[in-house]
Amino acid sequence: MTGRTPASSFTRRTFLSAIAAAISTRAAVASQAPRVAVIDWALLETCLALGIVPLAASELVQYRKLVVEPEAPATVNDLGLRGTPNFEMLRLVKPDLILISQFYSYQRAQLERVAPVLDLPVHQAGTPPYALLESSTLKLGEALGHRTGAQAYVETTADALARARSSLASGRTRPVFVISLGDSRHFRAFGGDSMFGDVLAQLGLQNAWTDTTSYSAAAPVGIEALARAPEAGIVIVEPAPPETARTLPRNAVWNALPAVIENRVSTIAPVNHFGGLPSARRFARLLQTAVGNWPAA
Amino acid sequence: MSGRRIILPWVGLGILAAALFLFQVYIAWPNGRDPVSAHLQSVILEYAVLPRAAVAILAGAALGLAGLLLQRVLRNALAEPSTLGISAGAQLAMAVATLYAPMLMAWSVSLVAFAGGIAAVAIVLALTWRRGLEPVSVVLAGMMIALTANAASAALILANGDYLFSLFIWGGGSLVQQSWDPTIVIASRLAVGLAAALLLLRPLAILGLDDASARSLGVALHASRLAIVALAVWIATTVAAEVGVVGFVGLAAPALAALSGARTLGQRIVAAPLIGAILLWATDGLVQLTAGVSGERLPTGAATALLGGPLLLWILPRLRMMEWPMLARTIVVSHRAARPAVLLSLAVIGLVFALIAALLAGNGPDGWFLANGDLLADLAHWRLPRILVAAASGTMLAAAGVMIQRLTGNPLASPEILGVGAGSGAGLAVVLLVSASAGLAWQIGGAMAGALGALLIILTIAARGRFGPERLLLGGVATGAVASAIVTAVIAMGTSQSYVLLAWLTGSTSQADFGQAAIAFAFMAPLVGASLFFSRWLDILPLGTEAARSLGIPLAAARLSVIMTTALLTAIAALFVGPLSFIGLIAPHLARLLGLGRARHHLIGAMMIGATLMVVSDWLARMVAFPYQLPVGLTASMIGGPYLIYLLSKGVAARG
Repeated sequence: MTGRTPASSFTRRTFLSAIAAAISTRAAVASQAPRVAVIDWALLETCLALGIVPLAASELVQYRKLVVEPEAPATVNDLGLRGTPNFEMLRLVKPDLILISQFYSYQRAQLERVAPVLDLPVHQAGTPPYALLESSTLKLGEALGHRTGAQAYVETTADALARARSSLASGRTRPVFVISLGDSRHFRAFGGDSMFGDVLAQLGLQNAWTDTTSYSAAAPVGIEALARAPEAGIVIVEPAPPETARTLPRNAVWNALPAVIENRVSTIAPVNHFGGLPSARRFARLLQTAVGNWPAA
Repeated sequence: MSGRRIILPWVGLGILAAALFLFQVYIAWPNGRDPVSAHLQSVILEYAVLPRAAVAILAGAALGLAGLLLQRVLRNALAEPSTLGISAGAQLAMAVATLYAPMLMAWSVSLVAFAGGIAAVAIVLALTWRRGLEPVSVVLAGMMIALTANAASAALILANGDYLFSLFIWGGGSLVQQSWDPTIVIASRLAVGLAAALLLLRPLAILGLDDASARSLGVALHASRLAIVALAVWIATTVAAEVGVVGFVGLAAPALAALSGARTLGQRIVAAPLIGAILLWATDGLVQLTAGVSGERLPTGAATALLGGPLLLWILPRLRMMEWPMLARTIVVSHRAARPAVLLSLAVIGLVFALIAALLAGNGPDGWFLANGDLLADLAHWRLPRILVAAASGTMLAAAGVMIQRLTGNPLASPEILGVGAGSGAGLAVVLLVSASAGLAWQIGGAMAGALGALLIILTIAARGRFGPERLLLGGVATGAVASAIVTAVIAMGTSQSYVLLAWLTGSTSQADFGQAAIAFAFMAPLVGASLFFSRWLDILPLGTEAARSLGIPLAAARLSVIMTTALLTAIAALFVGPLSFIGLIAPHLARLLGLGRARHHLIGAMMIGATLMVVSDWLARMVAFPYQLPVGLTASMIGGPYLIYLLSKGVAARG
């Protein structure tokens, strides 16, 4: 993060090692997994990918539909919505550490009454997030006594992206729009500062949306904006509103897009767009298949 | 037919809209070098730019017509899709269908929207049937239904964000087009509506008279009225389904038609759709003019709401609101208990029991349990502030409810309709718009400023009628509608602030801490004290103006003090539990049903009951979907809803 002074980074490091020490002692004594609760989904994914099964995590019902992998085992206690986690439930499961991202910093004081809180940044508007995700993964691994596992995961993820990059390079590279459909007439675009946009860059693909991302539901853009890059392909990330299946094929502007006429449109399963490295991998994999299906230029 | 017909400004506005349209055509004119982009540009001109203008014109006309029909048959100058809860009902239906019956949405969005809209109107009409669809009560009921539906939609959006992305866009009312389909659909509805309106010219004219005259002229009163309402809802929800919520055009167009000199119904049937078309077309032209690369900064529907709000406040004092015989004051004390002290003690015991139960009983990973010892000490840190905030808010809303019902003599009056709750939301929205990271102190400050601003507007409107009940209620409803429109517009911008506002709309106490509890009590104590101080006035005010004067009450001063106190109580409570709860509506009723007739007893009893209900609502909010938490505003509405239906079955008119 920008603006952090060396002094505070030192405190962060001492804090991390203190937690790691506390947890590993406990783990050594009880030979248990670290008792951790996770509020942010990107960190939840990362924990699960490192083989750490949290004691509790938030909004698992939606997680299983929208993030999908890595799978959250049934033993994880649900903490309710991310925006309003159930502090009582948290207190009852009594974790030793709570993981949040900067999106949930406002809950920190309440959460700290239960256990120490580790706040790992995952996304910042205007900055490509991949490097941030790598460093947060490493910090998470360090804090939970999985340093080598985290390092290995960062490396295998980078390898996976590099392999995807070289296999895509053998084909043609067109610019790609990554969008999610808002309704029959609007979409949400993912720019270079989004996880999708950054993975596109890692894969050597050009993002057809040159503006930054408007996060959450933001400033939906009319479909006609896709005509700005007629040569581009389009990747639609689910979920899509149910009515679009009927209305989009009747949309004259949509039907006139070269991408639609020339079959350069693919729909991929849901991916957490605020996700961590596991979601980045999932997106790269789905994207590779989707783009691979397009006819050669 | 007088010479006071004002046409020139409309011609001017129409020319402006046309100029803005031609500018868009000029920008979009195909100039691509290669055939691919030249073809795309011509498609965009033909299927995006042109139909957008057509939709703006047709949707504006359709909303103007729908508003005119509703206002005519309900004889209510404030009737329109948003004040009757039609838009909110349609939105809730669409949210529910998207989540639980996606097939329905895939099949026909219009039908889902119509079902929601007609259900909302049906409830509003059923609630006010026995009061003879008296305008003020219709609008009050519409407001309550709209607030409830909005809170429920907001809760669904919060719990299912990515699946309900479309509702953000829909709530903003974007006129972006990519085919002629919506134009054709809206045009066909408008044609049917206009044809029906012209065919029904005579019954419509008669329905504008009072019921007795209408009946003596041989009109099948209820059947024609309901048929026309259904037609208007059909037109309005079609527009809603095709382009989303477009606020205030339905309200403003008929009113402006009347103010521009359209006297007869026939003239208005022509003038209202025309004015609606010009208003929407011009607004949409301005919206397109300010659009950036990543889309429009403000969707058109939100823009009409923001522009229409001040317009509405300007129109309001100029309209003849009361084309309806006002019903006599209806507060009737059913019975008065012999020993109110015993009842009040029982109410206190009930509250204490609820407080203890809410503190101790809870759910967990291993099922239900009563907390004690260390666990209780830990849990109390979260439970107690919530319980205290809920109790204080319930108390304040109940006190506010007693005062407003006694002041207005309207048993459907509830603190929410003063508009100060919505006003505090608008203040919050503005603060969040200026700075996304505004802290709690700024948020509270903004909310207070918004509430005070709303209060000033209401008082200005009410002052013209010496703070009489009708002006007060209408001013409150109008201000509330404007403030809600501001909140909706900021939510429709879809930033992270939207979620803060959505959480506020649903009324969540989940982040309550002891600091908030202290603030709540610090405001509650003096305000509740003041309300008890007014109890003699509150005993006399419901007896009517004459009685109050003859008993030597300083009428304007008494009303003003009561309004101010009520507004402050409501604003503070709305800050903590959101704009809607029904507690301020039902606690005063329950206290009266118990036989607490004198104002002092009525106030204290209602406050105890209000606090108890709110504590129970908060407990339910924590427990019903454990570990997921529901917003307390929503659970309170779930308690209040059935009571409203009970009121309905007993007949509101007979009860106070």
